[in-house]
This record gives sequence, C-alpha cells and structure tokens, in this order.
Amino acid sequence: MRTRAILGSILASASVLIVGYQAGTTVTMANGISVTESSTSAGSTSGTTASGPADGTYTGSSVNTRYGAVQIQVTIASGSISEVAALHLTNADGRSVQISNHAAPILRSEVLGSQSARVSNVGGATYTTQAYLASVQSALDQAGA
Amino acid sequence: MRHTLETMGTVASIELPAGWSRELVAVGAIFDEIEGRFSLYRPDSELSRIASGQLVLAGASGELLASYSRALEWRGTTLGVFSPHRPDGVIDLNGIVKAEAIERAGAHLQAVGCPSWSVNVGGDILVSPTGGAQLVGIADPADSSALLCSIRLGGSRLALATSGSAQRGDHIWRGGSTEPTHFVQVSVAAAHIVAADVLATTIVAGGPEALDDVTTRWDVDVITVDRSGALRASPGLRRALVADIAA
Repeated sequence: MRTRAILGSILASASVLIVGYQAGTTVTMANGISVTESSTSAGSTSGTTASGPADGTYTGSSVNTRYGAVQIQVTIASGSISEVAALHLTNADGRSVQISNHAAPILRSEVLGSQSARVSNVGGATYTTQAYLASVQSALDQAGA
Repeated sequence: MRHTLETMGTVASIELPAGWSRELVAVGAIFDEIEGRFSLYRPDSELSRIASGQLVLAGASGELLASYSRALEWRGTTLGVFSPHRPDGVIDLNGIVKAEAIERAGAHLQAVGCPSWSVNVGGDILVSPTGGAQLVGIADPADSSALLCSIRLGGSRLALATSGSAQRGDHIWRGGSTEPTHFVQVSVAAAHIVAADVLATTIVAGGPEALDDVTTRWDVDVITVDRSGALRASPGLRRALVADIAA
C-alpha cells in the first residue's frame, strides 16, 4: 500500500515534470504516458508500522512519452517528499537529457568564498609567455608550490 | 618539485614528486615534438608545410592525421561549433594539440609509475588519477593575478580546461563572425583533458545554446563568465568549490 501511494506521488511528479519538459510543444499528455517497468525502491525501512511512507530515496518507473522516456527519483524525509529529481529524460532524437546538470546562475560572492591559498595550480585562458609572468600561476611556480 | 618549461607559445608548469625530476626530459621531448609538428608559427612545421601547399594532406604523418581526424570527430559531435579549420580553410589544430600534448605527458607519467603529478600548459590542467584530489584555482578573466574560485580535481574530474578571450583576444573562430563572444571565459572540468578543452572552446564559440547542449550531452562541470561579469555554474562545479577561505 505504501509503495502504491509513493508510486502515485512519483507519477504525479513525473507528470508535472513532463508537462514542464514539453512546455512549448502544446501537446496534451492524455494518451502519451505508459509505464514500461516496475518500480524499484532503494529506501531504508526503519519501521513497519509507520502510517506514512518510509524515509528514503525511491526511483520511479521509467515512463514513456511520445517524446521520450522519463524517470524520476523522489526523496522522502519525515513522511513527505523533500526532493524530486529527474534521473533520465530523452528527447525526440534519442539523446540523453540530464536537466539536472544545467549550468545555473551563481553569485560571485558564492564562488569568492571558495578561494583557497592552498591551490597547486591555476587554470585560465591560454597564457602567452608575457601574460604568464603576471599570472597567479607564475607566483605559485616561483614559490615552488 | 615544481618545474617550468617554455613551449607551444606558452609556459608549462609540471609538478613531480621528489626524485622524479628525470621525467621532465621526456615530457619536454613530447612538447617539442608536438610543437615541431603542429605549430603554425613555425614555417617548417609539418602543419605549416601543409598550409602552404608544400605537403599534401595524404602525405602527412600518421600522428598529424590522427589529430586531424580526432578534431573532425569533435566537429561532428559538437555539430560544427568546434572546428579544426580557420575561416580561410587552413587546417588549424591549435584547438586540440595542446590538450593532446598534456594528455600524452600525463600518459607518460602514469606509464612510468609516477605516483602523483600535475601538468599545466598555459592554464589547462591535468592531475594524476593517483595521489588524491588536488586543489586548483581558476583565474579571474578580469585579472589574471587573482582567482575567481578554487575547485577540487580528482576522481572523474582530472582535467580542467579554460577557454576565453581574456588573454589573447577573440582567438576562437566562429564561422567568420566578428561579433564578440557571449562568454569571456569558460572552464570545463572533465575526466579527460581533450574533452575538457574542446568543450570549453565549443561553449565560448557557441554561447549559451552550446553551454546547455554541452552540459546536457557530456558528463562535465562548467563555470562561465559572461561579458557583464555574471557567472553560471553546473551543480557539480558548485559542489567542487573549495570551502576553505584562505587563512
């Protein structure tokens, strides 16, 4: 029963994502979805009498749409969904689409906090010999870092 | 021990453990051979002789043909955004040979059993798969004497390549376009240095559309700086940011 409830949540989430994924194609999802594989559960089951879903991470079925397959991973914490991640999408060309790897805006202050005095190397757009002399890498090399 | 070599129009910085300095000779020989074969700044290089018509492509060395064919494969997989041809039709393998030189140097150091090393040629870095993660910085495109951020290289991210217009002007060919690139600097972390380098160049050349395409189709992490100074980063790169502010 619990599994069925979770699966229901997963499919609901999948539908939301699929609709999002296909936004702009103006295609209704009414006939597009079919479940092709049974679900698997990787969650830890801490108690057998719990009324809600057990905390853990659950991988949903791979769902086929006319635009490709989608598979969703849901994380349950304290009985409710804390995270929904799309594990796999394919587009019409059969290419794998990992929307989770999308490069998103990041504040400069977030990356500035990562500056370490202990770096051993510095990457940058190709230095000319002259530019090298003015670079951090040059300072590191002179220090024998 | 840190060693520097001037090669391929730039400076290579090679870190070797104590007692392994002898391998510097072999690494330098790899760089010299590649420069002698591929430099378009040397009129006597094999590639220059092909460009000037003194040598036909069919008569080129296996090494040159292998690099050219690899570059053409990348042109195919990047849908033409990365190209080994200049607008004037001359074969220019600059976009791939430096990374190949780093790759060969790394392969040599692994083959001789060097336990921990790093090879940095002109800002493109490969670290050894053994010896633990290494902290590397990424230069601020606005100031090469300052860091934009620091990340950890190791595991499935041994290579970091950076392309951009910060150091050498707009040197990336974009189908003859003279419009400024959207991104002034793009860094790609990947398992392999050639992939990292080609994909960084691809994103600079192809702009935001290429960025989305690359992060979708390849297992890489990316941080970009656009003309306004705004940053974008993939989730993996965000996680790799080193969280220790300099003491």
